[in-house]
Amino acid sequence: MGHAGRLDVTAVMSPDTTQHQAPAKRRGKQIGLAFIAPFGLLFILVYIVPIVYAGYLSLFQEKLIGGNTFSGLANYTKLFQDAQFWHGVSRVFWFTLVQVPIMLLLAMALALALDSRRLHGAKFMRVSIFLPYAVPAVVSTLMWGFMLGVKYGLFGSLNNTLGTDLNPFAPGTTLISIGMMVTWAFTGFNMLIFYAVLKAVPRELYEAAALDGANEFQVVRRIKLPALRSSLVIAIIFSIIGTFQIFSEPQILPSMVANSGITTDYTPNLYAYNLAFAGSQQGYAAALALVMAAITIAVAYAVQIRGLRNAFED
Amino acid sequence: MRLRKKARLFSAALALMLVLGACSSGPAESGNNQVKLTVWSWDDTVAKAVPGFEAANPNIKVKVVNAGSSFDEYTALDNAIQAGSGVPDLAMFEYFAVPYFAIPGKLDDLGKLGAEDLKKDYAKAAWNDVTVGDKVYALPSDYGPSVMFYNKTTLKKAGVKKPPATWNEYYEDAKKVRALGGNHYIAQDTGDLFFLLSLIWQAGGRPFKVNGTKVHIDFTEPGTTKAVAFWQKMLDEGLLNTKVTAWSDDWNRTLNDGTLASQIMGGWLTSSLPQRAPKAAGDFRVALMPQWQRGDEVGAENGGSGFGIPAAAGHKDAAFKFLEYFTHGGGLSSRVDAGAFVPNTSVLASTDSQNKVNKYFGDQKVGPVLAHATKIVASGWQYPPFFEWARSAYGDLVSKFYTTGKGSLTGILEEWKQRMIKYGNEQGFEVD
Amino acid sequence: MRSRTSTRAASGEAHVVTPGASIRDSRNRRRLYSVDNPKKSVTLTVMTGLSALYCLLPLVWLVINATKSQADFVSSFGLAPGHKFALWDNIVEVFRYQNGIFTRWLLNTVLYVVVGAAVSTFLAALGGYALAKLHFSGKRVLLFVILGSIAVPGIALAIPQFLLFAHLGLTNTPWAVLIPSFINPFGLYLMWVFTAEAVPTDLLDAAKVDGAGEFRTFVQIALPMLAPASVTVLLFSFVSIWNNYFLPLIMLKDPNWYPLTIGLNQWNKLGSTAGNGALIQNLVITAALLTIIPLIVAFLSLQRYWQSGLSLGAVKG
Repeated sequence: MGHAGRLDVTAVMSPDTTQHQAPAKRRGKQIGLAFIAPFGLLFILVYIVPIVYAGYLSLFQEKLIGGNTFSGLANYTKLFQDAQFWHGVSRVFWFTLVQVPIMLLLAMALALALDSRRLHGAKFMRVSIFLPYAVPAVVSTLMWGFMLGVKYGLFGSLNNTLGTDLNPFAPGTTLISIGMMVTWAFTGFNMLIFYAVLKAVPRELYEAAALDGANEFQVVRRIKLPALRSSLVIAIIFSIIGTFQIFSEPQILPSMVANSGITTDYTPNLYAYNLAFAGSQQGYAAALALVMAAITIAVAYAVQIRGLRNAFED
Repeated sequence: MRLRKKARLFSAALALMLVLGACSSGPAESGNNQVKLTVWSWDDTVAKAVPGFEAANPNIKVKVVNAGSSFDEYTALDNAIQAGSGVPDLAMFEYFAVPYFAIPGKLDDLGKLGAEDLKKDYAKAAWNDVTVGDKVYALPSDYGPSVMFYNKTTLKKAGVKKPPATWNEYYEDAKKVRALGGNHYIAQDTGDLFFLLSLIWQAGGRPFKVNGTKVHIDFTEPGTTKAVAFWQKMLDEGLLNTKVTAWSDDWNRTLNDGTLASQIMGGWLTSSLPQRAPKAAGDFRVALMPQWQRGDEVGAENGGSGFGIPAAAGHKDAAFKFLEYFTHGGGLSSRVDAGAFVPNTSVLASTDSQNKVNKYFGDQKVGPVLAHATKIVASGWQYPPFFEWARSAYGDLVSKFYTTGKGSLTGILEEWKQRMIKYGNEQGFEVD
Repeated sequence: MRSRTSTRAASGEAHVVTPGASIRDSRNRRRLYSVDNPKKSVTLTVMTGLSALYCLLPLVWLVINATKSQADFVSSFGLAPGHKFALWDNIVEVFRYQNGIFTRWLLNTVLYVVVGAAVSTFLAALGGYALAKLHFSGKRVLLFVILGSIAVPGIALAIPQFLLFAHLGLTNTPWAVLIPSFINPFGLYLMWVFTAEAVPTDLLDAAKVDGAGEFRTFVQIALPMLAPASVTVLLFSFVSIWNNYFLPLIMLKDPNWYPLTIGLNQWNKLGSTAGNGALIQNLVITAALLTIIPLIVAFLSLQRYWQSGLSLGAVKG
């Protein structure tokens, strides 16, 4: 897991659909509350209460000797000076900056290729590229870990043949390998979303463009890419949220490869996990989780969350 | 109104589901006086002792659960203790984890249950491992005297006729093995903390001095610096494979194809080596680890574990009964037969253990070597009570060194010490 | 509905293409291939094929290695078959190992997935319907909060959730995994948009006039119309719960409640644990294969439904 991309079905949704919606009539003033109540109550239990509780916990420090003590904002001041935390943040930041564009460009290119109707075996391609989406991160890490092994994995064979010494899991390259795994898992999903959007473009437009002498490149640029715009924005937001949370791959890899450079503070989530469960520093971990949520929301907002909000203005 | 009724029905159904779930997941106490023990163990052999125990104690049912290995289990136990539910009656601990649980009072003193009477059956160093202060918190269930597994065929190919008896010979032999070229190395190392500590242990260094909640850390003792400098030299001269890590798939394969000439590890490797390197059957032998001085016989420890009773456990007497049964009493032999290496002097000295030939090790009598290695383990070693955290911190530091070659082991140990001091003091210990 | 949105897209984009698009120019009708059936491109096929290869290779590796015995696995090349075809032996052993706990994990996963996906889809439909068709106070606040929650990283939530659930004594019970999976803000959002789009208010009003209560109107009129959306939401919740790792990792410590992902990782770790840990990579790999097969089958066989669900959404792009 560790990638909200799985959920960005919404990427296909345009924000402005609801403006056509007929205004609901007032029938039984508060009846809607009863309908929303089960979701709302569970939502409070699963989202709101834990956040408030985390806020409360973050004001305490737990010690192995001496127990729990109130410490005010000490956890937060410590966090802002914690180089381990900020290294992790900058790592996921750079990772996101590189991986998300690559994945989404690839997904778009593939969607355009499928939509061009110029592929042999298009259906097979579409299904094959999508399949990794159905593979849990645990299994994916396992497979890639074995395959990329320098000694006996496929890279080992490659090194032997070429006489090279490439190591996909050296500290400098591990992040690239993780990027490969994440790209592997989510390209197909994003591709399908884009493809679905493209398929909805009325064919008459292409006919018209063709009649007009537009070449394929112009059709892509003038018709297809603009059509993808809104779903792309949402795909970007959810991919960012997803990569900021990256956890499973760096958590599982160390049991497969040594000295991959993955430390207990490799990503903020991994660090929070290790603080909470290995270091008995739950208050500190709660503070970290809250700060990380704030950072993620800020980044997502900075990118385009306003686009999403417009959806709710009716 | 209809809807209200439906809504009520729905919430009633939800409540019912909650209740059902709570029942099915709650402790299942069956029968009147029957006790149901939960044992957390990642050692498969413990389950072998259950049938015999249940037959002898019909009112006790034992459930052995694998709640994860090592780190995962300790986390689970901490969580259970914190949540106040799901605490097992017996749990497995590596020796270094015993102080972590014992010092804050999360483990019961087994002395009051009669553990002291069993002391004489255990190797001295093993008993020391489960003792904190002057109280015993666990009974040793398996042991890892450091020994050398060497691939006779590979050494022979390199022109080495006898396994290295001193570290100097080991160094010279390493060069000869390396001269075979390719992937041939005398051993691998990717920052194995427990190996480095066993080297320091054998050389006489005692970097951790623990007294209650006071911990003193020192990596500058002569024994420590001697061991560290030696290993640094091995690394600097490229005599070790730093690409293959122990327990990985690559490691299994390098053991299989004979390119790794030796392993200095805990005696427990005896039972898993045949699984990991089936193709190398007949090639490996076991010997004492090399010595710092020719003619010496000083040993060290690498791994091993015991079982303790959490302070929050429900059935302490029954738990101790089972603990005694599989670590000392009637259940021990079934575990030994299943491959457990135990530090019980009675087992180590038994004629069975002394005379049994091991086919995988070229019909060598492995028992006496391991028994001897157990007997000579040097005493006085201690682990700090936050070692579980410390070893992950070490992992973070060391991986940079092994992959970039920048820095030195000495530098890493110093940085490690600083981190431990910071963490330990934050956690309420007095560390310097 | 499709045609309506199509017009929207057309009117939105047509002028972008070229102002003269509406003029049918017969001089250009000389191509052998039509717009709908262009000439196949080998270059494009090869390039896309490489991506398909990248996606399939690990799965091929998994299938090949699931047929190897442990001895073959440690000694033979990754993409070559072993000496012995051991797939069946491996499968039998996977179901036997540790007293058949794999079956238990499989059943747990099915429980989490079926209950979690069904409840979350139903709650999302119920809530989405309320947001789209019913009035109540505090709607805007609610929308805003739910919108915000979409951006909250799930994993940042999981630690506080764990601490809270531990406090409530729910950790180590299936509820710890189920309850968080009941809430799917994305699903709610989807359902809301789908309802607004696909369920005509007139029809609901007609049902009311006939004397149907709100709940019956929802179940009998709205729900059937939301079927394609429901299948889509259901299937994607299905995947996210089936693949969930972090939440059960921290919530569950009793192997009897593990889902497949956690159990699998535990087996994998056995081999890399010092000491007497058993070496069962052949079982890990076979179990991994068995873990992904149901999902792949579900996706392939339900392709028509969820792809139509996707395009249903896509026409709104």
